[in-house]
Amino acid sequence: MADPEMNLRDLVILVADPSSYISLLIHSMLRGFGSNKVLEVRNSVGVLQALTGQRIDIMICDLWLPPHGGLSLTRAIRRKVDNEHRTMPILMMSNDARETTIKRARDAGSNMVIAKPISPAALYDRLTWIAFNPRKFVDTETYFGPDRRFKIEGYPGGVGRRKSDQEALQVAEESGPALAQNDIDSLFSAVRTGQD
Amino acid sequence: MTKPESPDARIFPVDTRFQKMARRKGGVPRDKAIREAQAKVEEAKPQFDEWLDGALAEFAALIGSAQAGTAEPGWIADANSHSRQLRDSAAILGFELIAFIAGSLCEILDSIEAGGECNMASIACHFDALMLARKAGYRHLRPEQVPELTKGLHRVVKRVTV
Repeated sequence: MADPEMNLRDLVILVADPSSYISLLIHSMLRGFGSNKVLEVRNSVGVLQALTGQRIDIMICDLWLPPHGGLSLTRAIRRKVDNEHRTMPILMMSNDARETTIKRARDAGSNMVIAKPISPAALYDRLTWIAFNPRKFVDTETYFGPDRRFKIEGYPGGVGRRKSDQEALQVAEESGPALAQNDIDSLFSAVRTGQD
Repeated sequence: MTKPESPDARIFPVDTRFQKMARRKGGVPRDKAIREAQAKVEEAKPQFDEWLDGALAEFAALIGSAQAGTAEPGWIADANSHSRQLRDSAAILGFELIAFIAGSLCEILDSIEAGGECNMASIACHFDALMLARKAGYRHLRPEQVPELTKGLHRVVKRVTV
């Protein structure tokens, strides 16, 4: 199978990273991939402002995004029921590639994790994988996000696929700091009313 | 920790705008996209010096306030954030020595954040190493080209981390 060709033109990509320079490097890579609409923010408030002000097609977010981290932010986006970005693809950047961290990112509702430092090849392959391998979403009492039953069999070529549907659905328990529904509502409403 | 099964789960297909549009014809082939991305990263390289100077100045201020006993309670986390940014950006650009020293410093700061002893001398010696590595004559060196420095930092990390 030929490598899939990804077309990022006119897609709005939000890069959320506390470092202006790392954001610039990721922005540069995306421009090299053909992207022409990249937004940069430095914290969760910036993300929520971007999400309430316009349509964002995909978010590339740092795990350590201030003030509460990318995982809490992802959970907030996934849990907020009346949120048009609830199913938006989220690619989590982490400089901690331990299995526990990957699992936490997955259980928060991230589509995929990419390890820092990021190379153009790794970024291209993960974006391609997300684009060419849409996953079903799962909605339970404790989780909302992409189906976590999937396996990546190699990059590129988009050959990752979910395990058999015969397998029992695995639903992870909540772990780590999480925002209560009231906190999530407050975050979104504060942004809507212009308060930081 | 996982539960074996969730009988009340609702599972539904999602094909987002990103996925639909990214699959359009007219995309950039992988090899070309990666080549172009690397070229764009090269274009951003000259701005590294300015950013590095700012990052090191902030780091110096954090160390200074810690040594003076006036640091904010979360200064280790801030210092670790600076180190991670330094390590990751230097690694993307191929400045291996800076990436190595910053990574070594991250190990120390991770250890302190995990409850280990805060040894200011070990932090200060990493900062001095970063100041050296930022100089033009050292910038493009690899860690193995300065074995005394790298072995020394290894020893420091081994001694102070939990």
